[in-house]
Amino acid sequence: MIEYRNVTKSYGGKQVVKNLNLTIADGEFVVLIGPSGCGKTTTLKMLNRLIEMDSGEILINGKNVAEYNPEKLRRNIGYVIQQIGLFPNMTVEENICVVPKLLKWDKERMHKRVLELLELVGMTYEESGKKYPNEMSGGQQQRIGVLRALAAEPPIILMDEPFGALDPITRDSLQDEVKQLQKRLGITTIFVTHDMNEAIKMADRIVFMSGGEILQADTPEEMLRAPANDTVREFMGKHVAKTRMDDPALHCGDVMKKKVLTAESSKKTLECLELMSAREVDSLVVVDSARKYLGIVTIEALRERGEAGRPITELLDTSAPTVQVDEPAQQAFGKLLASKALNYVIVLDEQQRVVGIITRTSMSKALASVVWGVKK
Amino acid sequence: MTFQHFWDTYALMLGKAILTHLGYVFVAVSCGTVVAIILGVLLTRLPKMSKFIMPVLSVFQTIPGIVFIGILFIYIGMVPKTVLIALSIYAVFPVLKNTYAGIINVEDKYREAARGCGMSSWQIMFRVELPLAMPTIMTGIRMATVYTVSWAVLAAMIGQGGLGEFIYRGLGTNNNTLIIIGAIPAAIMAVLLGHGIDRLQKAVTPRGMRKED
Repeated sequence: MIEYRNVTKSYGGKQVVKNLNLTIADGEFVVLIGPSGCGKTTTLKMLNRLIEMDSGEILINGKNVAEYNPEKLRRNIGYVIQQIGLFPNMTVEENICVVPKLLKWDKERMHKRVLELLELVGMTYEESGKKYPNEMSGGQQQRIGVLRALAAEPPIILMDEPFGALDPITRDSLQDEVKQLQKRLGITTIFVTHDMNEAIKMADRIVFMSGGEILQADTPEEMLRAPANDTVREFMGKHVAKTRMDDPALHCGDVMKKKVLTAESSKKTLECLELMSAREVDSLVVVDSARKYLGIVTIEALRERGEAGRPITELLDTSAPTVQVDEPAQQAFGKLLASKALNYVIVLDEQQRVVGIITRTSMSKALASVVWGVKK
Repeated sequence: MTFQHFWDTYALMLGKAILTHLGYVFVAVSCGTVVAIILGVLLTRLPKMSKFIMPVLSVFQTIPGIVFIGILFIYIGMVPKTVLIALSIYAVFPVLKNTYAGIINVEDKYREAARGCGMSSWQIMFRVELPLAMPTIMTGIRMATVYTVSWAVLAAMIGQGGLGEFIYRGLGTNNNTLIIIGAIPAAIMAVLLGHGIDRLQKAVTPRGMRKED
């Protein structure tokens, strides 16, 4: 367990970390996030004493970090930096073994550990062990950077924007790998980032900092649901909510499905039943010859009142929820959630023609884009 | 003067002079390098003083060798030690400057990573900073070697042999052949030693640090 107690740090009279209290459980993945200059990196580096705090204390399993020799402390805490910082004069194997060597492991044990670690990230010793950092891509280098931090089996690992310099695709796969490794090995992780998508993806708990203080520390879910104040909301908005649910810029037309199963009003009962069973649906949208919306016909109505040859216009249900294509999507979601009978909302254009429907699936897709920031 | 005659007269003397000259260069560059690297490392630990010391050292370097050997000669006398001390001191400057610059220019990310891994200040020096500065330091050693070959000519000024002896004797007797016998081997020696150090540097630089050509 890691405990920050009333930790304070100033630079030149300016407090960058103010009376910070934070407890981190064993095996927890905590992401420190916030605007630049919020004190997140300082908070991270005070743990392994790359930065010394002014007052307060940090305890690891009850023991104050100030009581350790700083070098010995750091050898037991993995550390990954944004600029990767693999030593160019050392091979991959030598880089991974930096900390074990400082801890005076014997050669055999070190070599065994290198094989083990390379396997963890799907690399082979034959292919990569003797390579130098400049012979690898940035993503591969940072994989080794992570392995270097893991080499001596530290119980804690600190990561300071480790994927900030990588391209989005590499970043994405490294995030997955690191998260998997962390879970599997049960390592307590503190991870600094300014990327909310990354935080939501990786964190067990997000600690939002601003001006040297913790504004909110919550699970990603809770953070998205209930940002503590405007600063947090604004920051989340900047990063994730290009397509927020209540964003008036997101229209029904953006989230609707364009393929709609419609039936012309001239159709009769049996035709409709045939159509419904062929497409495995339980209702049809009924339109006139100009695709103007008339209502819907449900399987219940057909069963109760339908008979061969009876036109469906007599079975119409006109109470189904509809929205206009340029209305905010929020409206549609509201109607959809309110309607118990029907699991979709019909989208109409100005001439009342059917242009699409919004189902629960389209809603979850829009929701996902809120969480992951992916458009549609 | 036929070549045969010439060879009979000077061959032995030339051989001896080349060996003496090489000896001066080797000892002076070795001593100078050791001193320079130690001083360079210490100076990087004292950044405030270095700002002041490095320019002063640069000024020192501009004092002509002939003046310096002359002064040392007064205090120490006409012995090889005088030459070695003077040459060693001159060999210090280029190596010191490059050691300092090489270490100072090591990118901070490597220091940060090394510190984060739990290296002590000296471990960072020996395992990270010096290896990364090595190409720059080698360039300094190369410069020092080439310079020392020409400065060692001054040894003859106080009668301490080397290729300078031919040059001084040639100047004294107005014998151009003698001057050339001294000057050409010295020039060749400078080129060969410089080349040798380049090869050595290539051989000892890890693959990961070689500049892409």
